[in-house]
Amino acid sequence: MATSAIALETRPHVLARPNPFALGAIAPAGCAVAAFSLLLALTNDAIGAELGEPLVIALLADWITLSYVLGGIVVWWCRPDSRFGPLMIVAGFLTFLATLSWSSNDALFTLGQALDVVAPVIFLHVFLAFPSGRLSGQFERLLVLISYGTAIGLELIRMAFGDFGPHNLLELAPNARATELLMQVQLVAVSAFCLCGVGVLAARRRRSGPPLRRSQALLIDAFAFALIMIALLFLTAAFSAPWVAQVRWVTFVTLGLAPLALVIGLVGARLARSSVGDLVVELREDSTPAVLRDALARALRDPSMTLAYWLPEFGSWADLDGRPTELPSNDSRRATTLIDRDGVHVAALLHDPALADEPELLDAVTAAAGIAIENGRLHVELNARLEELKGSRARIVDAGQQERKRLERNLHDGAQQRLIALSLELSLLEEQLDGERDATARLGLARREIAASLEELREVARGIHPAVVSGHGLEVALEQLVARASVPVRLTVEVDERLPEPLDVAAYYLVSESLANVGKYAHASSATVEVRRSQGELVVEIVDDGIGGADTDRGSGLRGLADRVETLGGRLRVWSPVGGGTRVKAEIPCVP
Amino acid sequence: MRAVIAEDSVLLREGVARVLGDAGFEVAGACETAEDLLLKVRSYSPDIAIVDIRLPPTHNDEGLRAALEIRASHPSVGVLVLSQYVEIGLAMKLLADSAEGAGYLLKDRISDVKEFIGAVRRVADGGSAIDPIIVSTLLSKRRRDDPLDALTPREREVLELMAEGRSNQGIADKLVITLRAVEKYVSSIFGKLGLPSSGSESRRVLAVLVYLRS
Repeated sequence: MATSAIALETRPHVLARPNPFALGAIAPAGCAVAAFSLLLALTNDAIGAELGEPLVIALLADWITLSYVLGGIVVWWCRPDSRFGPLMIVAGFLTFLATLSWSSNDALFTLGQALDVVAPVIFLHVFLAFPSGRLSGQFERLLVLISYGTAIGLELIRMAFGDFGPHNLLELAPNARATELLMQVQLVAVSAFCLCGVGVLAARRRRSGPPLRRSQALLIDAFAFALIMIALLFLTAAFSAPWVAQVRWVTFVTLGLAPLALVIGLVGARLARSSVGDLVVELREDSTPAVLRDALARALRDPSMTLAYWLPEFGSWADLDGRPTELPSNDSRRATTLIDRDGVHVAALLHDPALADEPELLDAVTAAAGIAIENGRLHVELNARLEELKGSRARIVDAGQQERKRLERNLHDGAQQRLIALSLELSLLEEQLDGERDATARLGLARREIAASLEELREVARGIHPAVVSGHGLEVALEQLVARASVPVRLTVEVDERLPEPLDVAAYYLVSESLANVGKYAHASSATVEVRRSQGELVVEIVDDGIGGADTDRGSGLRGLADRVETLGGRLRVWSPVGGGTRVKAEIPCVP
Repeated sequence: MRAVIAEDSVLLREGVARVLGDAGFEVAGACETAEDLLLKVRSYSPDIAIVDIRLPPTHNDEGLRAALEIRASHPSVGVLVLSQYVEIGLAMKLLADSAEGAGYLLKDRISDVKEFIGAVRRVADGGSAIDPIIVSTLLSKRRRDDPLDALTPREREVLELMAEGRSNQGIADKLVITLRAVEKYVSSIFGKLGLPSSGSESRRVLAVLVYLRS
C-alpha cells in the first residue's frame, strides 16, 4: 500500500537523507565554535561595559548557537526533504560569527561587528520559512530581503562613520552624531520588520483554522514571542533604556527555546507512531467503516479526519454510507492523502494539512490499516449498490404506476366509452323496432351483456389504477370501500392535505386488500380503518375483531402490499394472534 | 327546455345530444372542457348542465369542480354529473347541503334512454337523480342493530326509489301502485327510521342519503 500526500506545502522534490557522518561532523563543529566564543568573552574586557556580565552573555550566545545547530541536525535527519534543518544550522553558526566582535583581532572584530544585526534577522527568516525552509509568499520574501539589507547595509555605513573602537577596519570618517542616528534608524527598522513577521505568523495561524494541531500552534506561538522579544530588545537598545541587558538575556533565552519546541514536537510525532500498534489491535475486530474512521482519527490525532473510498465500478468516490462524494480541491483547510494499492486508488484520507509534516505517521497508519481499509471499501461498495438498488426499485415501481395509469385512461377513454355508445345505439334501435317482439328481446339481451361487460371492465380498471384516488383523494375513495365492506367499519381519516399520489394509491390498496381479507377469512363482526399523519409518516391501520391467526404468506396479497409499502421506504407489520383479531399497520414516510 | 353538455368523448357527447334533441330538448352547447362549460352556462342560462366528472386537461376533478361552481353561482341551473365510477363521497360532495337540481349517475345509464331522459327532466325541474348503485351500496352497508331490518321488502323498495330522487308519483308509476299507497309507505318508513317527515319531495332525498350514510 502506498500513500501520497497532496498537502498545503507542496514538497518540491524528495531529497535523500543527509550523510550521517557529515551530520555527525557538524555537531562537534558547533560545540567547538561555542567554546571559542566563550573563550573570546572571557579574554576580552570590552564586553563587560557594553553587554553586561561577559560570562552570562557568552553562555546565552552559546545556548542559541548550540540550540540551533543541534536542533537543525535533528530536523534535517527527520525531515530530509525540508530545507528547514540546514537553515537552522546556518542560523546557529551565524550567531557564532556575530560573537567574533568580542575579538581583539581587527579582521575578526570587523567581520563579527558587520554581522551583528544580521544574526537576529536570520531568525526572522527561519521562523517565516517554517516548515519547508522556503519563504512561501511574495511578501515574506520581500520582508526578509529588506531586513537583511537594512541589517548589513546600515551596519557597514555605521562602521564607516566609526565609533567602534580601535579594531574597526572599515572606519573612514568618524562622526559620532551620524553613528548614533544611523543606529537608531537601523534598530527601529529591524524591530518593525520583526513585528511584521509576527503579523504574518498570526495570519498563518488564523488561516489554518481550528483543526491546527496543538504542537504546531505552540511552535508558531514560540516563534512569534521570540520575534517580539527581538523587536523589544532593539527598541530598548536604540533609545538606551536602562534595562537593556536584562531584555537581552530574556531575548536570548527565548530564541534558544524555539528549536527545543520543534524537536519536542518531532519526538512527539515519533511517539505517536506507537499509537499505530493500538490501531492494529483495534482493527483486529471486524470493523465497520465508521469504526475504522474513528480509529484512524485517533491514531492520527486528527478528530476532523474523514475517509472517502474509491468505487471503481461507479467510477466515483463515496462516503461511508456509499453516497457519491467529491474530494476537496483547492481547500487549504483539508489535505488529501490517497491510499493506493497496485497503482489503483483504494481510499483517500481527508485530514488536517498539518499532518503532512508527519509523513511517517501517515505511512505507518495507512499501512497498518491496509486490510481494514480494503474491507471498509467493500462495505461501502455494498452500501452504494444498496442505494442504487433502492433507487432503481423506486424507478421501476414509479414507471409501473405510470404505465397502469395510462392503461386505465386508455380503458376509460376507449373501450368503456365505445361500449356505452354501442349500448345507446342498440337502445335507439330498440325504440325504432318497437312492436317487433323477438328483435327487441334480443336487443335487450345484448344490452344487458354490454352492461355486464361494462361492470367487469370497471372492476378491471379499478384494479389497474384507482382513478378516484388520483382524482378526488384518499378519503373519498376509502368511504366507498368501507361502505362496500362485509362488516361494519369505522373509518377515521386524519390527513390535512393531499399526499403524494404513490402514497395515496398504496394506502388505498392496503385498505382494499385488508378489508377483502377481513371479509374472506377473519369471521369478524366489525373493523376499524384509521389513516393519519404522524411525525412525517402516513400511518394506515386496519384492525378487525375476528379469529386472527392470519398467515402472512397467504396468497400474494399481503406480500404484494408489503413490497409496495417498502418501495416507498415504509414498513408493513401484521399482528394476528389466534383468537385475537388481526391488525395490519403500515408506516410510510411522507417525504421519500 | 335548454341543455348544455360537457363531455370529452365525441361519441358520447354526440349520443347524449341526439337523445336530448329527440326528447325535445334544445341543446344550446356541447363542449369538451370545464372552462367552455362555465362560459356556455353563463351565456345560455340553460335549465340543465350535463357534466362528465373527468374532463381535460388532467382528467382528475375538473368536471366535479365545474359542477360545484355552477351549483354555487347559478342555483337555477340543474346539474347532472355523469361518471364512469360512482362514489358515495363524491355524491355527498355534489349535494353538499341540498339535493335540489342535482344529479349523479353512472355513464352507463345513458343507454336506458327513457330512464335517462326522465332523470334529466327531474334535475332540470329542480329535483334530483341519484344513481341506484349508490343507493343500493348505502342500503347494503352493514350496521350494528340495523333499523333498516325493520322495513318490509315493499318499504325497502320505496325507500330505494325515494333515495334515487323520484317523486311519489314516479314511485307509484314504477311500482304500479296508487299514489295514496306510496304516501302511506313513505310515512311508515319515516316513522320506523325516526326521521322527521318532510313535505318536500326533493328535500327528503338528502335527509334519506345522510341517514343511510351515517
